[in-house]
Amino acid sequence: MMPLLAFLRIRGRSNCGFRLWIPLFLIWLLLLPLVLVISPFAFIACLAGQVNPFRAFAVLWQVLAGLRNTHVEITQGPTLVLIRVL
Amino acid sequence: MNENRMQVLQMLSAGQINAEEAERLLAALENGPAGGDSGPVDSRPKARPKYLRVLVEARDDPSGAPTKVNVRVPMQLLRAGVKLASLIPVQARNQVNDALRGHGVQFDLSQLKPENLEELVDQLSDLTVDVDAPDKEAKVRVFCE
Repeated sequence: MMPLLAFLRIRGRSNCGFRLWIPLFLIWLLLLPLVLVISPFAFIACLAGQVNPFRAFAVLWQVLAGLRNTHVEITQGPTLVLIRVL
Repeated sequence: MNENRMQVLQMLSAGQINAEEAERLLAALENGPAGGDSGPVDSRPKARPKYLRVLVEARDDPSGAPTKVNVRVPMQLLRAGVKLASLIPVQARNQVNDALRGHGVQFDLSQLKPENLEELVDQLSDLTVDVDAPDKEAKVRVFCE
């Protein structure tokens, strides 16, 4: 299943920062028409590159689905950058 | 409740270990063979790791706070990444291989197969890679969980 939400947290030296919930499901919905427009060109590009387009689509889908539960956290003293994909 | 689990929880409540260490100990108790005489022997196959964890602690400035990096990558993403590498067109793959060779990395992308990753993951589930560089005050830990 594709990630539906992402959480971003940034904290600066003066302990000020912000937390941001990113609704990825809305972004996927917005990107869907674009994907439909681009897909015929991507199909042709795959054939030109001697790559099975269906396999390419399946692998890209797996990459997107695999992003779920990714966690990246970098801290230095009070500063923090946190990215979580849910 | 298992005696070992109770002991770990008591250590946590006493503040002898932190939550992360307790979690790892409990996971080790679940995955490993039943310790002591208290529990039955667990004959189930060991659970496959779900995540690759990379922990880095480095101190660029001796007087400053250390930089800590904590990355958890799902194994599913790694597997998909390996499959993605197999989709790279031959011409592009050769260019990547040449660039890697140019930087002193003797690696052929065409040899990268999902089976290799499974093998690596199987080895990493029993292994923690610790890199300690005292001169740079840096520690790197790579393990699966």
